[in-house]
Amino acid sequence: MTTFHGRRRRHATVRVLLLVAAIAVFLMPLAWTVLASFGLLPDNSARPPSWAGSITLDHFREIGIAEPTFWQELATSTVASACAAVLTIACSFPAAYGLARSRFRGERLLTQGFLVLASLPAMAYVIPLSDLMRRAHLVDTFAGMVLTEAAVTAPLAVYVLHGALRQLSPEWEEAAFLDGAGLVRLLWQVVLPLTVPSVVATAIVMFVLDWNLLLVPLVLTSGEIKTVPVAMMDFFTFERELDWPTAAAALLVSLVPLAILAGVFHRVLERFSLDSRRTS
Amino acid sequence: MRLTRRDRLFLFTPLAVLLSGWLGLPAVLGLVATFTTYSPFATTVRFSGFDNYVRVFRDGQFGAAITNITIFTLVAVPLELGLGFALAYLLRRPIRGRGLWRVLLLLPWLVSPIGNGVMWHFLLVGATSIVDFGSGWLGLSNIASPIGDIRLALPTVIAIEVWREAPFVTFLLLPGLAAIPNDLWEHSILDGASWVRQVIDVALPSLRPLLLAVTMLLVGLSLGTFDSVLILTGGGPGTATMTPALYSYNQAFAINNWPIGAASAWLIAGSVLGVGLVYVRLARRAAI
Repeated sequence: MTTFHGRRRRHATVRVLLLVAAIAVFLMPLAWTVLASFGLLPDNSARPPSWAGSITLDHFREIGIAEPTFWQELATSTVASACAAVLTIACSFPAAYGLARSRFRGERLLTQGFLVLASLPAMAYVIPLSDLMRRAHLVDTFAGMVLTEAAVTAPLAVYVLHGALRQLSPEWEEAAFLDGAGLVRLLWQVVLPLTVPSVVATAIVMFVLDWNLLLVPLVLTSGEIKTVPVAMMDFFTFERELDWPTAAAALLVSLVPLAILAGVFHRVLERFSLDSRRTS
Repeated sequence: MRLTRRDRLFLFTPLAVLLSGWLGLPAVLGLVATFTTYSPFATTVRFSGFDNYVRVFRDGQFGAAITNITIFTLVAVPLELGLGFALAYLLRRPIRGRGLWRVLLLLPWLVSPIGNGVMWHFLLVGATSIVDFGSGWLGLSNIASPIGDIRLALPTVIAIEVWREAPFVTFLLLPGLAAIPNDLWEHSILDGASWVRQVIDVALPSLRPLLLAVTMLLVGLSLGTFDSVLILTGGGPGTATMTPALYSYNQAFAINNWPIGAASAWLIAGSVLGVGLVYVRLARRAAI
């Protein structure tokens, strides 16, 4: 047994070393960006290249000069993504429950169909959608954008929530049903509390997906409402091309809320699973 | 307990309204419109058969886009799966600070694709780029940016996509990998199996349905590649990194060639649905 454990310990060391190396490689571009946002830029004309500049917060202030409405766009993105995530869950959760508790031919096919739908790029339908939304006077409205974002992410939510709800033993529902609970009370007071981790995990992933959507807001808005990804494009006009530290600062500001969210909820996020057979 | 018809109506209506109104209706109307000369501002509309599709296929730019996206998908998806799996495998057993590792590793995926494009542009082009920094340390004179090079542009775009998506694959695979019962691994280890055999005999069979689902998502993502090339390369140099989605967008919104944009977008939808059919068949077999 000692050799077994010894081998294990050696493997653990190798594992940590590999992980550190992998994380260093994956985070290097981001570290470069963080340094640039604080004014630390490499001087590549020197031999060997050196680091120039001193730490400053000026570039974060300059965000507001380069993009005067940036902070407002940050608020728009936050509220819109939150609304879209909640709407997605509100529509997907009952449907996922209905799917999980129905026995009909093709139930599995339908579920897999939702995953295929989730894989469909927004570009596939956004061109006619922009036309329909214009005709419905929903272009450049908050509601139009949120509804579309919710629809884009809903299929994935249905697939994931269906997997989670299938794991749930129906006994609890049977008991509540015998107590005379209606469907709404059953969902709200029995099923939802039992699946909170999965629902929260799904909502967070939906929030991240909505937050980072570019095509939908780009096509459905024309200035009245602007989200952060659309604003990111403004940091890249040719006359401003040299203003990398400000773009880096804006990038960092738009990443931090997501990073905090992922950090705070990292345990819950383990419940976001595409495996409908999982047992945990 | 059985769900009544009314129950079902209550459960499915919200989703049905959302998906049919914002996804189904535009997709179907859009498909119908691609067989006409319809455009939002057209005064007359007439039936044109497969005309739009013929014109899309005759456009050399779209041909280049198809070649690019085929290479992109065939290279990027296996790399994302392989790298994502490797990282998940490393994180499989509890180690100190696993939560922190996982969050750090997810950071590349949290950057928006468009922010990613802006970031990599500055990392690869210009006076403060990583490229110049690296070549300076190696004692070379400043070399040209890889995204400006017609042969290196596509591999670079692929590498950046893998950098962004591999951590997401790890995020998706880790719960499945962690859920594999411990005795399966222990057995395999006690049998003296190498880690390669452990992966092939223990991990892959248990993860088959999950891997299929992740692959489906990755293929769809890859076939719709748009945000990440929009700013980074704009499809160039020439058509070296042109993708079908970028082509559709340019046609419909930049040069107001609506019918061509809509028709080429439907070709993207068709390709993803085609892959979807294969997926559904494979997933059904994996479930049995």
